[in-house]
Amino acid sequence: MVFSSLTFLFGYLPLTLALYFLTPLRWRNFVLLVTSLFFYGWGEPVYVGVMFLSIFIDYTHGLLVEKFRERDRLARWFVGQSVVFNLLLLGFFKYWDFLAANLSLLPGAAVPQLGLPLPLGISFFTFQTMSYTIDVYRRDAPVQRNVVDFGAYVTLFPQLIAGPIVKYKTVAEELVRRTVTSQDFAEGACRFTVGLAKKVLLANAAGALWESCQASQNAGALTVAGGWTGLFAFGLQIYFDFSGYSDMAIGLGRILGFRFDENFDHPYLSTSVGEFWRRWHMSLTSWFREYLYFPLGGSRAGSAKTLRNLLIVWFCTGFWHGASWNFILWGLYFGLWLILERFVFRDLLVRTPVLVKRFYTLLVVFVGWGIFAMEDLGVCGRYLAVCFGGGPLWSGPDGYRLRSWALILLLLALGSTTLAVDLWKKIPERGRKLLTPVLMALGLIVSTAYLVDGSYNPFLYFRF
Amino acid sequence: MTTRYSRFLSAFFCVFLGGLLAWHVLLPDRDRSDVENRTLAQFPEFSWENLKDGSFTKGVENYFADQFPLRDQWTGLKARTEQVLGKREFNGVYLCGHALISKVDPPRDGLEEKNLSYVSRLAGKAEVPVYLGLIPSAAEIRREDLPKGAESWDQAAFIARAVELEGVEGVDFLTALSAHAGEDIFYRTDHHWTSLGAYYGYAALMESLGRGEEVLEREAFERLIVPHSDEFQGTLYSQSGVHWLPPDTIEFWVPDEGFEVTSWREGAPQKASLYDLTKLQTKDKYSAFLGGNQPLCVIKNQEGTGKLLVIRDSYADSMAPFLALHFEEVHLLDPRYYRYSAAKYAQENGLDAIVVAYSVPNFITDRNLVLLIQ
Repeated sequence: MVFSSLTFLFGYLPLTLALYFLTPLRWRNFVLLVTSLFFYGWGEPVYVGVMFLSIFIDYTHGLLVEKFRERDRLARWFVGQSVVFNLLLLGFFKYWDFLAANLSLLPGAAVPQLGLPLPLGISFFTFQTMSYTIDVYRRDAPVQRNVVDFGAYVTLFPQLIAGPIVKYKTVAEELVRRTVTSQDFAEGACRFTVGLAKKVLLANAAGALWESCQASQNAGALTVAGGWTGLFAFGLQIYFDFSGYSDMAIGLGRILGFRFDENFDHPYLSTSVGEFWRRWHMSLTSWFREYLYFPLGGSRAGSAKTLRNLLIVWFCTGFWHGASWNFILWGLYFGLWLILERFVFRDLLVRTPVLVKRFYTLLVVFVGWGIFAMEDLGVCGRYLAVCFGGGPLWSGPDGYRLRSWALILLLLALGSTTLAVDLWKKIPERGRKLLTPVLMALGLIVSTAYLVDGSYNPFLYFRF
Repeated sequence: MTTRYSRFLSAFFCVFLGGLLAWHVLLPDRDRSDVENRTLAQFPEFSWENLKDGSFTKGVENYFADQFPLRDQWTGLKARTEQVLGKREFNGVYLCGHALISKVDPPRDGLEEKNLSYVSRLAGKAEVPVYLGLIPSAAEIRREDLPKGAESWDQAAFIARAVELEGVEGVDFLTALSAHAGEDIFYRTDHHWTSLGAYYGYAALMESLGRGEEVLEREAFERLIVPHSDEFQGTLYSQSGVHWLPPDTIEFWVPDEGFEVTSWREGAPQKASLYDLTKLQTKDKYSAFLGGNQPLCVIKNQEGTGKLLVIRDSYADSMAPFLALHFEEVHLLDPRYYRYSAAKYAQENGLDAIVVAYSVPNFITDRNLVLLIQ
């Protein structure tokens, strides 16, 4: 089930909330566990088994790490086991076919592909449960002895399928003791509505524009203008899609009494590629920093090792996004820019005016989206070649597209800055109080209209 | 936020979600939607097998969406919002002034060439002359009215290719319709041609068959409008969600007198008529012509001469009454529903000519024309 579906909004969500709030406090984690498993099993009922296995293994490994804490080698061994288990789980379901297909290219090798559907959110929950055992070992989080509480953490439906990646230590306390005030509920509901509108109204509109540009390419009629329109549209689509989804997750968490960390901070205002990654999908960047980059030695062991560590981390970041070469290339592409920024451009960037730096960052990021969006590297190469002058500049359909999407593109571009928030703060409190329910109603009603119309509602992050 | 205010906001959120859920549950389920012209999903039957393969949950989602309260109004609201945002295209339909025009997408898998070759092979097999008449849709005839730069597949170029087809005579619907592009030859809310459009089509077809001098003057017809025939909201109304255009009017030009109409709707022959006016009380009013889709329909007129087989789509429903004025027998065969060799049918029934009359959008997407070569 996805949040932006009628079944979730007008079936699952009201029923789950009613059940949750009618249940006495001490049983609420149990309700969360059961309803989250239901949410998870909706699409692929069989994979509830994977979930149980994951809960069981990480729960017991947490206990084992705690038990053998005094015998460090043994404790490390159990941490290692848990990490290996999670990576195997992820590797089997997400990467097997990719590896098999590539190994089969070797002479004499024939590795069968399984074609299994990807368990929902597996990239997210395996990373979360890994963080648990590591945090317990590092004494960053207390061990969880109650299997229901732990299960509720692993399956927590708001962030289960598309993040943010909630580290165990962030919610450890709230998992045991949390209160929901009416302010929490109201703010959560507002945040959820904002996310829903971003996803359903803005992201899908940008997606339709991107598809139209892709159709031009398939028909061999892509122009320079059309190519850049497409990259621009895709970049905005993925931002509003993903950050909208995070908003919905954070809002739902708030309604249930959890405070998740923010996942996006206006990434398209960044003045360097490095900054972009500190503002984009922050929970993933910080996960890799904390559990991969630092353990590898980070940037404290000399230039050569820093270089190596950056490449490893960005290879993994890319590969995490999907089992395909273009994602690996995409990760390494950013790794390369980050290395350049660190070792080559550092002084230059300091002296460059902010506007130029923003332009440079956006250029790097949006070309990157091209690599991200097109799995077939041949298609991707031809597309980008057109963008950089390998085609006619302009054609009739470009004008039609721009006229049709002008207002939407403007809204999207402004919406990815802080303008809306700044304006909102300028409105006197009374005005905001009057406007909030109006905007909320508008967001809910118009989003519902688009969902019912339903002609266009693909969900980008299902592949993760 | 004060507690009172946040309670108000929270309640508002819950009432919206819970209220629609309650409405959904209390609302009796509908069997079909006239606006969408299809049956609606019902609550699926539960079984462990269904649950395991995911078809149960998928079924629930379809049920939930199909039976959603005020479904048509939501769709209309979406179209309005899109319009405010500057869109001129609504689910593949362009809004051009006061008319809706369906966009034609490029054909896939080379189907258009395959279908042409089937027609050509039919001509090789049949013992009577074969004519091919491709009817361009409004997107071609009224291309100038489309939003500037809006794409729609080039039907004229395709028709020009079809004319070259070996062993087949062409019927030039393109020129006939283009000459009257400014008149109301297409419905504004439906993809079909109007009776006026069908009249020009009939004139062009008679010309090709060498009987152009028999074509009746436009003025010879009394354009009949009956109750409900001016409330036509067609397929494009449904597809686009653009619900704010005035409805179309269906006119009946040929009086239903002196014809013997036989319809093979359910397999066995049934007596029928040129018009089924009860259809005017339903959403699908275009079906008033000959009563709508059917595998085979034969119209006999004792005063006519010659026997014609028309292999056709629904555009022919409104053209058939004109043809019936001149032919002793007009056989209308729809390959989507009729599974029998067309060449043999023509031979067995002693027909003089075969006309394949198809609208271009249907011709380039229809996967049943392979039956022509049986």
